[in-house]
Amino acid sequence: MKNSLIVKNLSISVPSAKGRVAVVDNVSFEIPAGKKIGMVGESGSGKSLTAYALMRLIKDPVSIDGGEIFLDGREILGLSSKEFRLLRGNEISMIYQDPMSALNPIMRVGQQIIESIQLHSPVSKSVARKTAIDLLASVGIPEPESRIDSYPFEMSGGMLQRSVIAIALSGEPKVLIADEATTALDVTTQDRVLTLIDKLAAERGLSVLLITHDLGVAAQFSDDIMVMYAGKLVENGSVDQIFSNPAHPYTKALLDSRCDYTIDVNKPIRSIAGQPPRPDNRPNGCVFSPRCAHAEPRCSVSVPPLTSSQGRLTACFRADELFQVGAVN
Amino acid sequence: MRFKKRFSISGFIVLAIVGITLSAPLLSPYDPYGIDVGEPFLGPSWTHLMGTDDLGRDLFSRILYGGRITVLIAIAATIVALVIGTLWGMVAGVQRGWVDEILMRTADATMAIPQILFALVCVSAVGSSVISLPIIVGLLLSPTTARMARTAVVVELASDYVVAARATGLKKSRLIMTEVLPNIAPQLLVQLSINAAAAVMMEASLSFIGLGIQPPDASWGTLMLQGYGNLWNTNWYVFFPALVVTVTILAFNSYGERIRVSLDSRKSST
Amino acid sequence: MSTELKVIASASGISRIFRGGSNEVRALDDVSFSLYEGKTLALVGESGSGKTTAARILLGLDTPSAGSVEILGQTLGTLKHEELRLLRRQIQVVQQDPFSQLNRRHSVQRIIEGPLLAFNVGDKESRKKKVIELLEAVGLEKEHLRRRPHELSGGQCQRVAIARALALDPKIVVLDEAVSALDVSVRAQVLNLLRKLQQERGLTYFFITHDLGVAHYVADEIAVMFRGRIVERGTREDVFENSKHHYTIGLLASVPLANPQAVKSNNEQVQTLPSPAEGDACLYRTRCAVGMDRLDCKSTTLTLTKGTATHSWLCHSPQGS
Repeated sequence: MKNSLIVKNLSISVPSAKGRVAVVDNVSFEIPAGKKIGMVGESGSGKSLTAYALMRLIKDPVSIDGGEIFLDGREILGLSSKEFRLLRGNEISMIYQDPMSALNPIMRVGQQIIESIQLHSPVSKSVARKTAIDLLASVGIPEPESRIDSYPFEMSGGMLQRSVIAIALSGEPKVLIADEATTALDVTTQDRVLTLIDKLAAERGLSVLLITHDLGVAAQFSDDIMVMYAGKLVENGSVDQIFSNPAHPYTKALLDSRCDYTIDVNKPIRSIAGQPPRPDNRPNGCVFSPRCAHAEPRCSVSVPPLTSSQGRLTACFRADELFQVGAVN
Repeated sequence: MRFKKRFSISGFIVLAIVGITLSAPLLSPYDPYGIDVGEPFLGPSWTHLMGTDDLGRDLFSRILYGGRITVLIAIAATIVALVIGTLWGMVAGVQRGWVDEILMRTADATMAIPQILFALVCVSAVGSSVISLPIIVGLLLSPTTARMARTAVVVELASDYVVAARATGLKKSRLIMTEVLPNIAPQLLVQLSINAAAAVMMEASLSFIGLGIQPPDASWGTLMLQGYGNLWNTNWYVFFPALVVTVTILAFNSYGERIRVSLDSRKSST
Repeated sequence: MSTELKVIASASGISRIFRGGSNEVRALDDVSFSLYEGKTLALVGESGSGKTTAARILLGLDTPSAGSVEILGQTLGTLKHEELRLLRRQIQVVQQDPFSQLNRRHSVQRIIEGPLLAFNVGDKESRKKKVIELLEAVGLEKEHLRRRPHELSGGQCQRVAIARALALDPKIVVLDEAVSALDVSVRAQVLNLLRKLQQERGLTYFFITHDLGVAHYVADEIAVMFRGRIVERGTREDVFENSKHHYTIGLLASVPLANPQAVKSNNEQVQTLPSPAEGDACLYRTRCAVGMDRLDCKSTTLTLTKGTATHSWLCHSPQGS
């Protein structure tokens, strides 16, 4: 299958008291065309910065130290900002956690969609307005003919996020990145917005990278899952593999520590001791080793590579061994 | 560590100006009132760094002593503005309601009157002395301080830690003193610095139009006025007082700006 | 709830109306609930459902427009200033944002000591001892004493906030979205800690959350709020396994589960964005697949239906009827 997005050895660093430290460390993955990929991780795992790198939104003092990103076969990190501007919106779009960050608060929502449409294709204002109304209708906004003239403050959170999705789709991109796009919404609204993204992706053959800390959202939405921890991609597999048969101890521990209404309330939740390491204080060897129940001496010496194991990619020396004895599933 | 972050060239200049002017009696090479120290209108030289004035007095010494008066007035005025303004703003921000309305509309009204006009009226009413000037200038600066203090207090009172403290059962007065005040102190420091610059400016302006410190005492403003009067036969006479006033105002302003920026960056980094 | 349990606090018929110009928002509309000693009541709802207003009223930070609140036998609103302050010793709060609820200029020691200072408890030595004891109880170390909030992680800040809430040995702790801002693994630690502390100290929790999973884990009784009203209330089994109100059912169906095989129960909620309903009748009707076209849902004022001793709901046409 054709890949619409390939990331190779992406590394991103930030300055700290101890010099520059990696917040995204040698991350590689591929997103096949038309697939929905969930990237899960706790705060500080580097998932959002990865998304920002895909949109070339990394700004000083954060910097990309290495790696390549291919969008539809074209390397984008080497492009001039002028060249990339032609791709942003047309090839790749992003929606954010806070819809207001993507909207101008004093400009009518419709006007912002119209401008976005005209930016991507040379159409007249009236044609763009019609397209904008169609877009608003397709993202499920009732009475789009009148809503198009609303200001952002006149809309609810769910409607704002829908409007932002409409803007993101106005250039008919092939890849859509959703960075915690439903995190700020209520569950019922979140459910609707996710259903909407799902529907639009199917209709338009979009590849979607959904970045979330919510395991449930990732499980319900995605075809494949990537698990990030402390700047590292630790496991990458199909949604069933990750959630039903995890191979990496961190994935397993993360699943154990979740608290949804299906867990046994009579036992304490199996939490992970300690907390994720700060970027300037990453341990040697496997980044998860200090908190891992299955760590061996070699785990704190050398870094386990992301290798094929049990039909998916896992960065753990003991993945096969643990998987066989059922320690992680 | 936090102090190091705040150290800056502007901070150093501020300290230097305050230090040097306040120790004028120790640093002055000549008696600032002594009319026999040199010829009148001597240009700058190694014996008279900034030349001499129309009566032959050493200008450098007069600027040091004048600076002492200006800086003292500025410091006193700043303290007056800080105390009155902070109280004014805090009462408004804590009480809200009609008290807030009255206090803040008063502040708006005062700010709408041109400051120099206001000062003129006050000076002509009570006269100008080293006592009245700081009070007048301080009063003039207090509405802006009050505005700032009110905003800061309102923001702090709405924050989560205040909710937590109130839920704890902390008394309101103690809440303000031990929880809120330490948190708005940095913002007050910014205002303090800006006020100091404004106070120097205002004192200089008042003296320049002859309503400030009266001869034979001299402030920087008075010296500027005298220099301006003798512009036709000297140019350094007005230049030096004007220079020190400008440098002082710039230093205070940029120091305030620097604290503000460092506060903003710290706020956004968390 | 069985009768031998002791009611430690209760709200009866409280309403809170916010007026802004000609607008009137009913943040709380005739809400009643009781807290039982040593138990947890979870108030579940989405943003704007009024759950935080309920917490503020219980904490005495806001006054209801109607109705009354009784805490430990004393009625709020009838108390003198000093009496209210003393009552506050018994009811403390932990909030959502781990950082902003701690005074950024104070050290951990000073933060935890705060409530003790507010009531002039003990001397310097005994207070310090108490602070260290609390610190250990919430799983932090002595070395954290001198730190300031920004030097701690979110989970650690939340532990400090819990320690502060326990400083005066309160009977009731209001947990206002207290684990919502935490990462999954840290949230589990804090939930376990809260449970342990409740067992050790016999605390009563009033747990405000939008997260059904958290409510399910912590609560003995759950009250589901929708736009200012409690629409369903019952034990964990009542609400999660035998839901009656269509809003509860829709809410449960909306929660994404971390199990791709979980067959999503038929989500009854309307998929487009309906305009909100107003009035005294059911406020959920415009979103409700069942009540949408029913006349009684539109026009008849609702009364609480008591299904069992523990389970009640506010619906004309509950699930299974």
